[in-house]
Amino acid sequence: MSSTDMPPLTAPDLQKLSAWLDAAVAACPGSGHAAKYAAWSEGVLAGLAAGASDGQFCQALSAASRYAPKGALAPSPQLVADAEDLLAGWNPSRWTALEAARVRLIVERAKADPESLLSALEEAFRYADEGELCALYRSLQFLPGPERFAVRSAEGCRTNMKTVFEANGMDTPFPEAHFDDVAWHQLCMKSLFVEAPLWRVVGFDRRVDEELARMALDLADERRSAGRRVFPELWMCMGSAESGLEATKRKLAAIEKELSGDDELSRKGAILALGRLGQTERLEEIQADGGTYFGPIAGWALMGRHDQTAFASISPPEGAEPQTREHEEGRAQGALLFPGDTDSDPATDTPGNPS
Amino acid sequence: MSSFRFFDPHAHMTSRTTDDYERMAKAGVRALIEPAFWLGQPRTNVGSFVDYFSSLVGWERFRASQFGIQHFCAIGLNSKEANNEGLAKDVLEILPRFALKEGVVAIGEIGYDEITPAEERAYQWQLEFAREHDMVVMVHSPHRDKKRGIIRSIDVAKEVGIDMEKLVIDHNNEETVKSVLDAGAWAAFTIYPNTKMGSQRMVDLTKQYGADRFIVDSSCDWGVSDPLSVPKTAKMMLEQGVPADAVEKTTWKNAVTAYGHSGQIDFELLDAKPVIDQRQLFMENSVLRGQEAQVDEGVPN
Repeated sequence: MSSTDMPPLTAPDLQKLSAWLDAAVAACPGSGHAAKYAAWSEGVLAGLAAGASDGQFCQALSAASRYAPKGALAPSPQLVADAEDLLAGWNPSRWTALEAARVRLIVERAKADPESLLSALEEAFRYADEGELCALYRSLQFLPGPERFAVRSAEGCRTNMKTVFEANGMDTPFPEAHFDDVAWHQLCMKSLFVEAPLWRVVGFDRRVDEELARMALDLADERRSAGRRVFPELWMCMGSAESGLEATKRKLAAIEKELSGDDELSRKGAILALGRLGQTERLEEIQADGGTYFGPIAGWALMGRHDQTAFASISPPEGAEPQTREHEEGRAQGALLFPGDTDSDPATDTPGNPS
Repeated sequence: MSSFRFFDPHAHMTSRTTDDYERMAKAGVRALIEPAFWLGQPRTNVGSFVDYFSSLVGWERFRASQFGIQHFCAIGLNSKEANNEGLAKDVLEILPRFALKEGVVAIGEIGYDEITPAEERAYQWQLEFAREHDMVVMVHSPHRDKKRGIIRSIDVAKEVGIDMEKLVIDHNNEETVKSVLDAGAWAAFTIYPNTKMGSQRMVDLTKQYGADRFIVDSSCDWGVSDPLSVPKTAKMMLEQGVPADAVEKTTWKNAVTAYGHSGQIDFELLDAKPVIDQRQLFMENSVLRGQEAQVDEGVPN
């Protein structure tokens, strides 16, 4: 994803999207029982096209788990490219096959009667389990009249289920296009708090602003006061050099403080932030003195590689790729929701200072 | 104990803390089933049930996963609240929306409390739903008039046409076990201080009857109860000479087989990752820091 040259957002063609979803599910690694799924989905899709009740729609979303292939969708590079053509910013690389099957049902419901879609979806959200929530939130980017779903997606940012949070906020152009500033800032800040990959918030670089930078700097101060590490991706929020003098001074002071610390990933993030702020001289200095670890990062930053995707390398490691029913299955204690918990020693009972 | 892993097929985790999840994971509990039940006091409207069922398939599922524990659940209208007939009708109306969701391994816990006609109607309705959708049934047996309640719950299930292989009768004791075994259903035992079974009695029963149809659970909830009941009882069984494969049957295999009939348990996943993890933990002592799994004495009676 290029950070600045994306075409304007347009609503995708639902017919083409349906064909994409069918093709992707048929080609996914777990499509061993394809015939069973095909027979089931044919009947359900026909029912939805003919006008199903909200209850039938909800039950179809649930029942999909009994028929759709298990595991990752793992779309081919061609399918990923086609997805980008259908809707700029949409990246289905991390979808499960079941999510694609469910989104297919939602799209069919959208085609059948766009007018009543909002109430049908709200009913589905009310009765959804964790996996259904992920699929429902992933579908919002495709739906006609998308501004109707902005309130729902903002609600998705309030979840404590990291799986659901990421399905709602990452790899989709929806938040950038439809969130107001409050929701946008909350999405970005909460990504840091729950250690979700902020670099995968589509359009981050286009919407990063001074208010977000201020919130991030306040958070850095708060973390330091508490003796906790500053999240490496926090330095993404420094934005560009176009802020006022005072604001820039504060940013540079915070970055220097980080550079004098001993958290390697956060220091890398701070170096990338120098690039974002156009601090060429300081970067050259680091490149010269930074050794084999920090030198190359400074080199990247000097070459302009400090866009949001450059932060992928310092982002929290992804949990195991989804192996089965839901995202969370692959997650053990290494993916605790609240950062810092993994640092504590589970075998000791002494009062600690979990982040 | 070090190679053991446990499946606690009856645990009300919404009532438990993260400390409990941590201790369960450390003691080797790798998966559990949370059946729907009452909250210690009656609910007053159907919305409370919607939110409760929703938390069983949502937040609680996610919460358990944070500790490396697979969370399954059973959906049902419990016997106590079946007596509020207006509410019961509303609950049964929305129940199908949750009962067929992913990871729902049974209709439960259902059955009798006072053995009233209202309880019987809700029980029958749910048995029929289970039969129609080929589901497993988890039956709660009453505290009072337990023996008659169990016999009746089996008889009614038979009348409805429930396969005995898909029927688990829970909260058994010395007085009821024979009726359940004779019927061919699964006999589950809740190790829960004061009102249900203690670990020592469970050891004795296993020695007497064998392990083929026995399932041990904790039913830990908002009362004085113990989320480590299952591992603690397994430890006592081993110490008192119950063969390891019999212990494994009562604390893992039988529950997996019975509830596996739902088609909602991924056996490969259940077998693969957790076992490897657990063995690594114990053999390398990397997480436990040399500490033996946290399993104390058996649960007192």
